[in-house]
Amino acid sequence: MRGKDNRLPNPITRGFLGVIGNEKRQSISIPLFAILLSLVAASIVILLLGKNPLTAITSFLQGSGILPKPDYAAKKSILTDFMSMINMWTPMIFAALAVAVALKTGLFNIGVSGQMLVAGFVATITVGYSNLPAAIAMPLVLVIGLVCGGAVGALIGWLKHKFNINEVVTSIMLNYIFQYVTSYFINSYYVNPVSRQSQPISQAARLTLVDVNIASLGLKMDIPLAFLLTIPVAILVLFLLNRTRLGYELKIVGLNQKAAKYAGIKVGRSMVSSMAISGALAGLAGVTLYLGYYNSIQPRVLTSVGFDSIAVCLLGNSHPIGILFSSLLISIISKGSNYMSSIMGVPQEIAQVITGLILLFSACGAYIRFRVAQAREDFPGKKLKPRAQKVKEGGDEA
Amino acid sequence: MNTVIIDGLAFAIPLFIIAIGGIYSERSGVTNLALEGFLGFGAFFGAAAVMVLTGGNLAGIEIPMFFAALAFAMIGGALFAMLHALLCVPFKANQVISGVVINILATALTAFFTSQINTYLLGKPTNKFVLGICERFTVPVISKIPVLGAFFTDVYYFIPIIIVVALFMTYMLYKSRFGLRLRACGDNPHAVDAAGGNVSRTRFIAVMISGALSGLGGICFAYSISSSFSPSIYAGYGFLAIAALIFGNWKIGPTLAACLFFGFARSGGHQLTQTLSLPSAFQDVISILPYVLTLLLLVFFSSTNRAPRALGEIYDKGKR
Amino acid sequence: MDEFIVEMRNITKRFPGIVANDDVSIAVKKGEVFALLGENGAGKSTLMSMLFGMYEPDEGEILVRGEKVKISSPAHATQLNIGMVHQHFKLVENYTITENIVLGQEPRSRFLGFLPAVDIKGSNKKIAELSKRYGLEVDPKKKIEDINVSTRQRVEILKMLYREAEILIFDEPTAVLTPQEIDFLLDIIRGLRDSGKTIILITHKLEEIKKVADRCAVLCRGKLVGVMDVATTSTKTMANMMVGREVSFGIDKNPANFGEEVLRVEKLTVKNQDGLSVVKNVSFSVRKGEIFAIAGVSGNGQTELADAVTGLLNSSGKVFLQGKDISGYDVRQRTLEGISYIPEDRQAVGLVLDFSLEENLALKEYFKEPFCKKGVLHSEAFDEQGERLVKEYDIRSGQGIKTIVRSMSGGNQQKAIIAREIELDSRLMIFVQPTRGLDIGAIENIHKQILALRDAGKAILLISLELDEIIGLADTIGVMYSGEMLNIAPAETLSTNQVGEYMMGVKAV
Repeated sequence: MRGKDNRLPNPITRGFLGVIGNEKRQSISIPLFAILLSLVAASIVILLLGKNPLTAITSFLQGSGILPKPDYAAKKSILTDFMSMINMWTPMIFAALAVAVALKTGLFNIGVSGQMLVAGFVATITVGYSNLPAAIAMPLVLVIGLVCGGAVGALIGWLKHKFNINEVVTSIMLNYIFQYVTSYFINSYYVNPVSRQSQPISQAARLTLVDVNIASLGLKMDIPLAFLLTIPVAILVLFLLNRTRLGYELKIVGLNQKAAKYAGIKVGRSMVSSMAISGALAGLAGVTLYLGYYNSIQPRVLTSVGFDSIAVCLLGNSHPIGILFSSLLISIISKGSNYMSSIMGVPQEIAQVITGLILLFSACGAYIRFRVAQAREDFPGKKLKPRAQKVKEGGDEA
Repeated sequence: MNTVIIDGLAFAIPLFIIAIGGIYSERSGVTNLALEGFLGFGAFFGAAAVMVLTGGNLAGIEIPMFFAALAFAMIGGALFAMLHALLCVPFKANQVISGVVINILATALTAFFTSQINTYLLGKPTNKFVLGICERFTVPVISKIPVLGAFFTDVYYFIPIIIVVALFMTYMLYKSRFGLRLRACGDNPHAVDAAGGNVSRTRFIAVMISGALSGLGGICFAYSISSSFSPSIYAGYGFLAIAALIFGNWKIGPTLAACLFFGFARSGGHQLTQTLSLPSAFQDVISILPYVLTLLLLVFFSSTNRAPRALGEIYDKGKR
Repeated sequence: MDEFIVEMRNITKRFPGIVANDDVSIAVKKGEVFALLGENGAGKSTLMSMLFGMYEPDEGEILVRGEKVKISSPAHATQLNIGMVHQHFKLVENYTITENIVLGQEPRSRFLGFLPAVDIKGSNKKIAELSKRYGLEVDPKKKIEDINVSTRQRVEILKMLYREAEILIFDEPTAVLTPQEIDFLLDIIRGLRDSGKTIILITHKLEEIKKVADRCAVLCRGKLVGVMDVATTSTKTMANMMVGREVSFGIDKNPANFGEEVLRVEKLTVKNQDGLSVVKNVSFSVRKGEIFAIAGVSGNGQTELADAVTGLLNSSGKVFLQGKDISGYDVRQRTLEGISYIPEDRQAVGLVLDFSLEENLALKEYFKEPFCKKGVLHSEAFDEQGERLVKEYDIRSGQGIKTIVRSMSGGNQQKAIIAREIELDSRLMIFVQPTRGLDIGAIENIHKQILALRDAGKAILLISLELDEIIGLADTIGVMYSGEMLNIAPAETLSTNQVGEYMMGVKAV
């Protein structure tokens, strides 16, 4: 370690420490820092392409209904775009919550996309192609989503528990298997020859009301009904993790498996439950995507929502409330990318690059925290605890 | 039968070199789920280099460009692997998360730059770089031997190249000074540190080697499967390689066997759909074969196999 | 000046929250055995880690052979002919002895005549010679995972000698050895001194210093208390200097009053991952008011035995608790039947380091009322119990019951575990290495607690590597060697030496 004598922090370090040094605020300041870094990186890329990054950022916001566009087509306004963004935001929230629950148990659910696909596919071919009235169909779709996703999640957890197979590898293998199996069924039985996608589902089963005429505003817009569920579900997950016996057990398993066993917790069962809950949430994300945002399934394609949700979760510090905000940001980026691309002539793929960069910098969060702690050690300021006192406590295996 | 062997080999050998890359990284103690990203980015880099060098017109110079692509793919893979090395070694990030992040980033970056480069060079934002065809050769006499001869028939140029590289990497890992230290890093990094070795540097280099080898494997896949680079390169081969090295117990020899098994299972499946002339949708069912096999094998092998002791452990000098 | 081979002047080293070394100066003569005495946490290991280049001092300077040096890495230390045997051996388990020794300084040969490679054959020969020369017999081709602790230590010593170290640092070398092995090691140390090496011995055991050291420096809480000639100083004086106050030797014990049998273990066998038996057919019983202590060298199955009794490891054979067969019970059920367990590794097993103190204090009871009602946790119950235990057991921490346990000192972490386990009010209490790494004050405290529990009628199973602790506390002693229970006898019928012999596998006649 470096010496700490008579060196003063330079103004940059001092300012940096001032902003990000407070440990209590770090859960917010570090993600913000990660976002800032990735925006800077993306701006450099856009600059190199000879475009104005500020215009680009504005157009992301315009495309997602946060800022008004210069002009709108008939029956459209900023509200239309905003509702459309919410329509995309909804599955993102569920997907990120799915990642968060698993992560709290020390499991990495990278199979969210596959679980979404299975849930969406099963709900589509059962309820989506039925004649059930909306009042029955919609709740049924949600239940099927929960059950299918949960079953897949539980399977992954069980394989890990029973055979010690890394859940990441299982999830990825299952992702491919689901992708091909659903593709086989769609292409063989449910394909729409024109769109090359599955046949569209019945309106009654769709969780988003499409093109609703709002006469009073003179607008036509999508109303994602499932959005009403997002905040209650986020709060429920928060309650589960912090206030229930199951949540307490899951967190112990995530932090220290040996201690969990020692405390009498059934580690295997906890992992299966955690993955089942995670999968169920992914299932919700799946039905809100495939039977809400969309009304059909494109064969052989896994949605990027499942992977973006990892970024959302890390950015939101795996905290349900944090996830509400971080998912908003990522939704704005993916929703706005279309408009941005058409305005700026920058390929739409930049949205994925930005998401990837946010993810990259979020992954460095632990390092930033470590460096901040170290910098604070090096420049002992007002907040440093008196040292001699701690020594008296003694007994540290130094 | 011959087609099964020829195609199987063409798939297994690039997979093998990617798996060796994984072994290097994991034996040094760095969990590597980023092989998929490495192979994709490496292939992209190799293909992009060919595009830039030729401006998209490959006529007549396919063979030199093939070697250029291989070299650049290795360089690109190694450079990109530095990201994973950086996150895992000095930045002490969670290695599993880092691996997943790297994969996502690789997909995004290659898609973005492919369309950018194509817009610039060809004037249209396609998501594909066309590479030439990789030449094949047949060994004159030996190829006439029944069954065994198929191993020497219509062999892609890259196969002998990979075999030479694989032999060298095997020597490096088991015989050289670097290899001795690398394997020690994966078992007890503190021992290496106390003996005067540099754990961080060894691991960093190991991850970069892993990237270079994955890049080599990736560009060979690009040549053999579609003669082009496109997002379809991300088909899970990196994860198959991981499965292979787990069956192989993190040892090079058994890993080769696992890769050959995957290769022949895959080509055998394709052959089956053709001989039975099943409808094209069945292609999807056959495609799941390697993944299902992987899961089944993992069920049998995961609990008995031993990962390197310090795998995934973040090395902190101060801790004892 | 020349007579000192190593000088460390005014060394200060700070870690977050503590001053590990505070203005410490020592000087070591060539060819002597220089002991560093002090309690756990006194800063001995930190001081030597700086000499070995693992840390750099914040203040002060180091001189080797009269020259000022800045030792930046272990490699650099090796160049200066300094070698160190660490308390936790730094060996690669799946490598052979030779590979471990040459690692970092590998002799070269050619592979296939042109590729540079490590010369393993030549090294094997060289190591065999070296081990013969210093009387440290080892088989160079054996793998580390197949050899025992004292052989591993020999490998560590050979590692230093292979690097031609002149200054040899031993960090608590006897902690893991039997009395007989200790004597053998001390002989080796004397032999090394006689062949001209300089030896620095870190220890907290006074007898060893008396036996082998020429001079001794005493450290207490990071500060140098004094340096003395061992021959002319009494053990008592050294002990008082080390602790900074009067120490009472020996443990006061009330006469035993055994009651009915609480724990009975019958033919218990535990297999490890490779299917080898690590605990073989062990039977014994513990009564109310009895301290049954199990002695043994580390790695002879003691920990596994405790894990099997508590249900953490699967085993065959029978376990009875107060006459009830609990062999088929899981961990939770056994805890509820009345087993408390203070595990060997308090940080990796006994605690969730990233949880708060109050959450850790409820680790064994969180699922019961009043902590949990219908699956929902009640934080008031956690608070209430936390506050009470912190007060009763004097657990000190930065922010009370909300402190994250990771930031607490080892002694206070152990206090928290013991408080939690006593609070369960179990019939059987299992202590594994309860005083490992703690300072004398904390050790005395824990010993008193164990005795009080015994006097209150608990059955106590104590597993320890510290022979003094076993002799001092036990009513009955069992010795484990390579998974077997060799001898069980009342404590008063056994001498320290006898126990030591059993620990090395000499069977009772």
